[in-house]
Amino acid sequence: MLSFIKNIFKQDDHSSRRQANDRLRVVLAHDRAGTSSELMETIQEEIIQVIAKHMDIAGKPEVNFIREGRHSALDISIPIKGR
Amino acid sequence: MEKNQSKGEAIVVTSGKGGVGKTTTVANLSTSLAEMGYKVAVMDLDIGLKKLDLILGLENRVIYDIVQVIEGECTLKQALVKDKRFPGLSMLPAAQTRNKDDITPEQVQQVCESLKEEFDYVFLDCPAGIEQGFKNAIAAADKAIVVTNPEISAVRDADRIIGMLESAQYNDINLLVNRVQNDMVKSGNMMSIEDLTEHLCINLLGIVPEDKNVLISTNKGEPIILNQRSQAAQAFNNIAHRISGEDVPFLQLEDVSFWSKLRGLGRSFLPTR
Ligand SMILES: Nc1ncnc2c1ncn2[C@@H]1O[C@H](COP(=O)(O)OP(=O)(O)OP(=O)(O)O)[C@@H](O)[C@H]1O
Ligand SMILES: [Mg+2]
Repeated sequence: MLSFIKNIFKQDDHSSRRQANDRLRVVLAHDRAGTSSELMETIQEEIIQVIAKHMDIAGKPEVNFIREGRHSALDISIPIKGR
Repeated sequence: MEKNQSKGEAIVVTSGKGGVGKTTTVANLSTSLAEMGYKVAVMDLDIGLKKLDLILGLENRVIYDIVQVIEGECTLKQALVKDKRFPGLSMLPAAQTRNKDDITPEQVQQVCESLKEEFDYVFLDCPAGIEQGFKNAIAAADKAIVVTNPEISAVRDADRIIGMLESAQYNDINLLVNRVQNDMVKSGNMMSIEDLTEHLCINLLGIVPEDKNVLISTNKGEPIILNQRSQAAQAFNNIAHRISGEDVPFLQLEDVSFWSKLRGLGRSFLPTR
């Protein structure tokens, strides 16, 4: 419900306010975790390599920071091929 | 307004990024609390680049400074400059010709503790940055006000500062958003208060609008809180009341955009044909 309201209240996509918020979200997550985008890419690649050794990956894996309060978590989603 | 039962409260005003309004905040909150009848001391810890004396209009009355107090060249009492317009307000000046690493956090703490014996509130005006001057300023305070502007680089620095305050065991960290331009927020070109609290996740203490009167009163060396027509003055007065424990609602600033959003909400329910 809350996210429903949030979506309606969302700023339009092109506003510079929206861009500032998007950029800040990424930069703060990295600052807090002490990582760079480059490191994130390395992590992503290495994780995928490990998974790929044992399973068939279908499609593009996604690695994101999710935020809860002032803490960040790594959210990794890797689509696996069914049998 | 009974306060002085025990010891005073020390509040550090900090930001990371320079020029966001720390000194303006210290000057106005301290005069406002003094006007309310509290005993207030301000410590200028921007050693080498002092400005608080100018903004308060007390620059001609400075004789000694905090470094001289620490080095024993004068007493704390001798160094305190009393504001004649606000009998409850005293300033401990920074030294202009010395460096931030001429004093240590422990020494600042000692001076601050002595001030807390006598004053209800002690404000510490922190220099920009995260180096020695910042460390000196945060060692002594009981709570923190983090000042920021609705601008990405200021918010990023604020976030860094909040992290450092948390590591220094602060559990009372409050956000003051300065220089908000509501028309820009409404036109989608400035981050809103909700955006900032969502990014920074700390308690919102106050919202101060962009206001030309801030510069005008700085020019004159007069605290802005005396100007009844200034929106920034009203905001600082409200924040001072909140610090003293009163529950003061936030300025109308945000309500306007809330109603315009509601109108937008109504529109989004209309069929799209
Ligand atoms: N709400 C406001 N509206 C308009 N101008 C403002 C406002 N707040 C601060 N200013 C202006 O911004 C400038 C910087 O303010 P101030 O000196 O208080 O910042 P500071 O954070 O203490 O800076 P420093 O990091 O150099 O110590 C001043 O010229 C001041 O007049
Ligand atoms: Mg300053």
